[in-house]
Amino acid sequence: MKSLTLRLRKAFDIPVEAEILSPDKLAGLSLSQIGLQEVWQGNKKMKLSDLFQVDGDDMPAKPEETIIRLEGDFSRVKRIAENMSAGTVDVHGDAGMRAGSGMKGGLLRVQGNADDWLGREMRGGKIEISGNAGNYAGAGFRGEKCGMRGGEMEIAGKAGAYLGEHMCGGSIKVGGDVGDFPGSANQGGTIIIRGGTYLPGAEMTKGSITINGSAKMLPSYQKMEMVKIGDADYQKYFGDLVENGKGEIYVAVSAQQSP
Amino acid sequence: MIVKGGVVYDPANGISGEEMDICVEGGKVVEDAKGEEIDARGLLVMPGGVDAHSHIAGPKVNTGRIMCPNDGRMGIEPRTDICRPSTGYTVPNCYAMGYRYARMGYTTAFEAATPILEARHTHEELEEIPILDKGALTLFGNNWEVMECVRDKDIGKLAAYVAWALCSSRGYGVKIVNPGGGEAWGFGANVKGVKDPVPNFDVTPAEIIRGLAQANELLRLPHSIHLHFNNLGKPGNYTTALETLELLKDIKPSRERQVVHVAHMQFSAYGGTSWRDFESKAPAIADYFNQNSHATMDLGQIIFGNATTMTADGPLEYANARLLHAKWSNHDIELEEASGVVPLIYGRKMLVNAVQWAIGLELALLTKDPWKVLLTTDHPNGGPFVNYAEVIALLMSKAKRAEEIATLHEQTSKRTTLMGIDRELGWSEIAVMTRAAPAKVLGLKDKGHLGLGADADFSIYDLKPEQTDPAKDHQLVKKALSQSKYTIKSGMVVSKSGRVLTTPSGRTYWVDASLSVPKADKERMMVDLKEKFDRYYSVQMSNYTVQDAYLPHPMVIRPRLFDTKAATKEVA
Repeated sequence: MKSLTLRLRKAFDIPVEAEILSPDKLAGLSLSQIGLQEVWQGNKKMKLSDLFQVDGDDMPAKPEETIIRLEGDFSRVKRIAENMSAGTVDVHGDAGMRAGSGMKGGLLRVQGNADDWLGREMRGGKIEISGNAGNYAGAGFRGEKCGMRGGEMEIAGKAGAYLGEHMCGGSIKVGGDVGDFPGSANQGGTIIIRGGTYLPGAEMTKGSITINGSAKMLPSYQKMEMVKIGDADYQKYFGDLVENGKGEIYVAVSAQQSP
Repeated sequence: MIVKGGVVYDPANGISGEEMDICVEGGKVVEDAKGEEIDARGLLVMPGGVDAHSHIAGPKVNTGRIMCPNDGRMGIEPRTDICRPSTGYTVPNCYAMGYRYARMGYTTAFEAATPILEARHTHEELEEIPILDKGALTLFGNNWEVMECVRDKDIGKLAAYVAWALCSSRGYGVKIVNPGGGEAWGFGANVKGVKDPVPNFDVTPAEIIRGLAQANELLRLPHSIHLHFNNLGKPGNYTTALETLELLKDIKPSRERQVVHVAHMQFSAYGGTSWRDFESKAPAIADYFNQNSHATMDLGQIIFGNATTMTADGPLEYANARLLHAKWSNHDIELEEASGVVPLIYGRKMLVNAVQWAIGLELALLTKDPWKVLLTTDHPNGGPFVNYAEVIALLMSKAKRAEEIATLHEQTSKRTTLMGIDRELGWSEIAVMTRAAPAKVLGLKDKGHLGLGADADFSIYDLKPEQTDPAKDHQLVKKALSQSKYTIKSGMVVSKSGRVLTTPSGRTYWVDASLSVPKADKERMMVDLKEKFDRYYSVQMSNYTVQDAYLPHPMVIRPRLFDTKAATKEVA
């Protein structure tokens, strides 16, 4: 196992583009090489060692045997674990925008909050967030046909708007409430929300959304039969009929439902 | 500058793989020169590539960019001391177009379709494309004034309008896209063939095409009419293609060139009655080109992966969008054209796409004379131009074609004849299709060859033709042709091994034929135009013409004054 720890030298406001912070990029490098890696902070090119204190094992290793610990407030550090395919990235603190974007494998754990675009267009692997996630978690950038295509995302706290927009596969679980329009244009992903939300599944054609809290439904969904999932009763909906869709939404009956 | 010892392929001057020096001075090829020496011993040297049909500038390209922010995120290259940032794959930003063509060894590219009303935008973008010499073809096929002149059989007046509109748009030649169909699209309809009358105009596509071809020759324009057929992109459309070509057989070219250039032939060589029994009719089309010499074509080869289709053929794009459930942009250009943009993906396992891919290659391989076939992907309709090396490698190697076919839908070889074609093109033929023929088809005298006095545009590739068998080493061919060792534009090394070294502004070619028009014809035409602007156009005539300020680096071509007697004869 190769273990690396990065700590902030001091807090900064100008965001850092840190797609380098992934096992794929750092596993094969020695500590001094890691310190010399370039990152952009605003319009300036910096070395990793200018911004972070890097400690850990010096020996090169394979990405799947590498753990990167990020300690401190990384909320101004973007693109952590971007495109990572194996290994573990463990953030002890908040993570900035686009953490786990395009992730293909491995584990990204954030013991804190994650900003917008968490796991954007991810294809595999697992993301665990102990706090809240921002908007567009598991979504796709403008113009992309697919957002998240595979893998798992678990958000213990709340999530923002447009959760899993354009999702084509994979699953997202959220412990708390979710902002507006989760699973819009969903084409095959699974979303499970413990809290409530507003207007889920707009333009959804495939996949499912399960909501345990209250949900305001779109008028373009057809009310179906009641179903039992586990011990609880759910009202099933079918749509989005606007897109001739075959998506399914389940809303828990026990929850207070908006008309 | 002297380029020493390259193995030169300059088919226009009958040079085929001779080891020779090339001397350059003042941006031209000369007999003797001093200065910098470039060692090209044993390396492949060809004139700079010329792309006669590519969509590189103008409103529809920009619409493609707006519709595909996902495309903008591909091909990102940061700014350097010399280059501006690059973005995009199918619809790159302006700078990237220049850099990428230059890296590939291309030095000239022509925008294939620009409406007069929106020509300003085209020229703004052309000016921002560095390095390349360029030009834009102007759209005429659905223009009200054109259709009225054709209806009245007044070819003199039509020629006067063509000359005026080329000048107004600072255009290079006459482009015709689905003649009549674009106008019909304004009423939600299309024309079904060349004999199908255009709503409200009492003319047929056949008459529009013939009229414009006659006007084109009357004005002695350097380029022939440049035609996108009716029924393009539909199964069974090869009959429309052949019928249209037959229409133009008797027209005499006013210069030593074709009477009609067919754009992206691949999209019009389809058999079958629907997408279910869709098949290649490339052999029938190639056969026609082998037996007749009044027409040339460019391929419109398909490249698997992302593409952005953009055309003035509005109804075609509607059909594409419906068929593929894709994004669709539709645009009406007042009295001139329709247009549309639809991004799509060509898939190897999609039978229709695989057959389309094969048709492009069949056309190139079955047409015997390479001077009749230009290599294009109809960028970005068939795929982005950066893939030309892939197409070249396919044309030069049967083994590569077999490898590719093995990855396609298994029915592909039943619907096409590609598997049975043994022909493998040589370097001279490739130099014709990518350099000499496009320059000749466009009527660019100083391009596409390396004779004395030619523009010193050429490319040197890291490949030794005498030691390479393209049939076997197709990977090497693709790699070497994707990125020139040196690209020289107007006597300057602009790109070396993929690195852009300098970014001079290229020139914009346009044709001023206004002096060739008899005064009486022009006066009659202006009466019509005034009425059109007063009654219909959303702009004033005084705001319509592209001003010189939009072309800081113009290259004006003035065809010789024509014989007024001939004009009157045509009218009679």
